[in-house]
Amino acid sequence: MTALRPLAVVAAAVLLSAPLSAQQLKFNLDYLAAKASDSVDLSLNGATLQFAARFLSSKDADESKVKKMIASLEGIYIRTFEFKNPGAWTPADLEGVRRQLRGSEWSRIVGVKSGEEGENAEIYVRSQDKKIDGVAILVSSPKELTIVNIVGPVDLDSLASLGGHLGIPKVDIPKHK
Amino acid sequence: MDWLEQELKNSLARVDPPAGFSGRVLDRVGRRQPSPCRAHSRWLAAAAAVIVITGGAAAWREHQGQVAKEQVMLAFRIAAVKVNHIQAHIQESAR
Repeated sequence: MTALRPLAVVAAAVLLSAPLSAQQLKFNLDYLAAKASDSVDLSLNGATLQFAARFLSSKDADESKVKKMIASLEGIYIRTFEFKNPGAWTPADLEGVRRQLRGSEWSRIVGVKSGEEGENAEIYVRSQDKKIDGVAILVSSPKELTIVNIVGPVDLDSLASLGGHLGIPKVDIPKHK
Repeated sequence: MDWLEQELKNSLARVDPPAGFSGRVLDRVGRRQPSPCRAHSRWLAAAAAVIVITGGAAAWREHQGQVAKEQVMLAFRIAAVKVNHIQAHIQESAR
């Protein structure tokens, strides 16, 4: 009986860790919250998304769009910080996240650097079997830090089409020929 | 005063109950049925408890659902704002 105990412990650990494994990017930046004037921490796993979907109205245009988008998602993990003064965070704080994004499964599709504002924005996609199964968005400026990880088949066009909805101003993007 | 003492002693002397007395008492107690009114009030209390628990659970579930919905909407708002912001930068640099 005692010989089975280690196996039971391992099995319990695997079962407990299963819901956490959906998150593709690990970011532990809790220590920055104390320095931030405003911060958001959202960890929504698949079960929470599907539960929330039941409360999203199909009649409301915004909620209906979001409801469709979350149907196939496995999780949304977001950490944002806003600081009153620049220099509250350093590039070293992001290094752990960047190291994970250097993995072969991730590829950067967009990188924007604004010299004037010191802003840096990147979008990475994670693909498996030629299908997108995750997106990471990194936006940083001297007074802001945002990390987004959407787990599952994400349609970036649908996400972008939320512009003009949810109180987000619409940005018209010229189509490439 | 001897006669008075004697009378008191006689009156207050311990007298054992007749044989089978305790058995008959217990038998009567066992046969007594609860009144219909008491039985009703028990059922009413149980029903009220079930209604309160069920209603409370439904209200809690509704509240949790609304919280989850708000969180999802906030998550999409943040993600969409960032994607739109990046697109705006691309648009600017393309000009």
